[in-house]
Amino acid sequence: MNRLHPLSAVTNALQRGGIGLSVPFFVSTLASVFEFVDVGWALVLAPVGFVLGAAYGVAYYYRFAYELTADTFDVASGVLSRRTREIPYRRIQNVDVEQGVVYRLLGIAVVNVETAGGGDTEAVLDFVGESEAKRLQRAIRQRTAESAGSRRAPSTTAGDDQPAGWIADSTAVEQTTGDAEPTEHRPTLLFELAPRELLLYSLASFRPAAAAGVLFLAFFASGPILDALVATARPFGGPAAFESGSIRSYAILTALSLAQAIVATYLLGAVYTFFAYYGFRLGRAGEDLVYERGLLQNYSGSIPLEKVQSVTITDNPLQRAIGYAGLWVETAGYGPDSGSGSQSAVPLARAGRIYRFAERFSGLEKPTFERPTTVARRRYLGRYAIVAGAVVAAAFVVSLVTPIERWYLAAIVFLAVPPAAHLRWANLGYAVADEHVVIRSGFWRRRTTVVPYYRIQTISTRRSIFQRRLGLASLVVDTASSRTFARSDPTIYDVDLEVAREVHDASRERLQSALRDRTSSDDGGVSVAFT
Amino acid sequence: METLHPRIRLLWIARAALGAIAVGVVFAAIDSQLYALPTAVSVGAVAIGLVLGVVYAVRRYQQWRFELQDDALYLERGVITFVETSVPFVRVQHVDTRFGPVERALGLSSVVVYTAGSRNADVRVPGLTPNRARALQDTLRELAVESETEDAV
Repeated sequence: MNRLHPLSAVTNALQRGGIGLSVPFFVSTLASVFEFVDVGWALVLAPVGFVLGAAYGVAYYYRFAYELTADTFDVASGVLSRRTREIPYRRIQNVDVEQGVVYRLLGIAVVNVETAGGGDTEAVLDFVGESEAKRLQRAIRQRTAESAGSRRAPSTTAGDDQPAGWIADSTAVEQTTGDAEPTEHRPTLLFELAPRELLLYSLASFRPAAAAGVLFLAFFASGPILDALVATARPFGGPAAFESGSIRSYAILTALSLAQAIVATYLLGAVYTFFAYYGFRLGRAGEDLVYERGLLQNYSGSIPLEKVQSVTITDNPLQRAIGYAGLWVETAGYGPDSGSGSQSAVPLARAGRIYRFAERFSGLEKPTFERPTTVARRRYLGRYAIVAGAVVAAAFVVSLVTPIERWYLAAIVFLAVPPAAHLRWANLGYAVADEHVVIRSGFWRRRTTVVPYYRIQTISTRRSIFQRRLGLASLVVDTASSRTFARSDPTIYDVDLEVAREVHDASRERLQSALRDRTSSDDGGVSVAFT
Repeated sequence: METLHPRIRLLWIARAALGAIAVGVVFAAIDSQLYALPTAVSVGAVAIGLVLGVVYAVRRYQQWRFELQDDALYLERGVITFVETSVPFVRVQHVDTRFGPVERALGLSSVVVYTAGSRNADVRVPGLTPNRARALQDTLRELAVESETEDAV
């Protein structure tokens, strides 16, 4: 049995000691509201709390153990109530190593082991030494691959220190196989994010989530930020001071501040992306994809290829304009920062290169997209017109309670309805190929998802009352992936009912035949071939 | 195609009635605490809720169909959004039979089929007699084991 890094005993003790220290204060503050406990008691009890907490922290360290057995990864933990968890290697989805700035300085790292399902990470080793983390990651990966029944020869590697020695490309593999050291578990470099691409990716990706960061900043420095906002709005007709202003000048202030907030969000997102994806590289080690990224916070992880559920190509209008796209792979586990099972395989590269990559990934032949009929566009026209109508209605309500009068000017949003409907419709597409179904949708963040038939879990044809009137249906192709609010399941939207039924039945049949093929072939069923 | 047991309508109507009563309580609370409402409004709201609930329950019963096909469990259901779902037997992780207190009182039971998928992760077939539910559970389990293969998760 192995223990965590000894330093974790110290941090654990301090952390729990801190909690123990604060509990008496917290309780006595609460109690003092009712005036039956003297706050002075907290001063006496706090050191006791600290000692108890620290002792618990140390005990936690001594009672936490993990072990790599022949078939399972075991973690035993808990001071008072014990929990022993055995994770079969073949169930492990991915192993991630995470290192913050301080962790890097101290040479320690957090290891996360993910399996499918469940609400959170199955095993968290917080924290172990850096080399131990690398060793674990590699050892688990090897054992996962072996238990998956791949025909690979048992490994002989003991403790070679990758990723220091990534191999440049697959041709190099053959050249170096004569060496004493087996290259099998050394990653073969598949993709490296060039500085130019990193910069483009940072600037051409939008992270609405960064708004939370901006709000956070605004909360802590509200005074100076407010002053700065008022100062920048003044030359454009904003109020002279925040307290004094007319409706007009406040409206200008609001509009300008909103614009600044959007710009700040964009910049913060770009900076975050830059730091998070700095030095991104993707490699292949045996039957796994391995990746590393991050400037301050270092992530590295491995994704077993046979656990990949679907592959998605994403692009936003800006990326499309400059001919770039990104590639994501989805597994059934939870990813390190996306909260879903999606991991970036190639953050950004020329679209042609991405499609070639996706081709190698999934054996995908260039898809010829079928399109929903124009009836679907009519539906979006109606839908967006309703939204626009709601906006106008809202403006009217606002005009009733505020001095704003010309509410009918809001009708200008109707101008956006036809282009919005057309763009939504124009970006829809699907292709039913021999081994995959390819589904495309979205304008702002267009997603082209490649779902192999043998990954399909359930298939549903959905028809709302509006769709039934128009004879349309949506087809939902569900794969085993984590439930998220951010991402909907791959759905072919608004095709004719007969087409939806046809695709439904075809997918079902092809799932069965793909499964038969996989069991009949001796090959472990991994249909991923890199050239 | 198999239909549900007709008694399931009672369950759904009872649920709708509960909802309507809840609406009635809210209206009564508003009436007594905030400002007086004409009795007709409260009664009307409850009545409309009840009628909609009954219509919905009847319609839902009429729409619900399921069938064990040769490779998948096939379901059709939904009043507002009509959904046809295929759950391939290979994808069945496990099958539960379940009944709540009201279902038990009505002599009904449900079968819940779990897959590893994200949406419809649990497919529920309500309104079965306990015997039918157990039979369906057994059949599904056998079919799932029979068609078991290298799993995709």
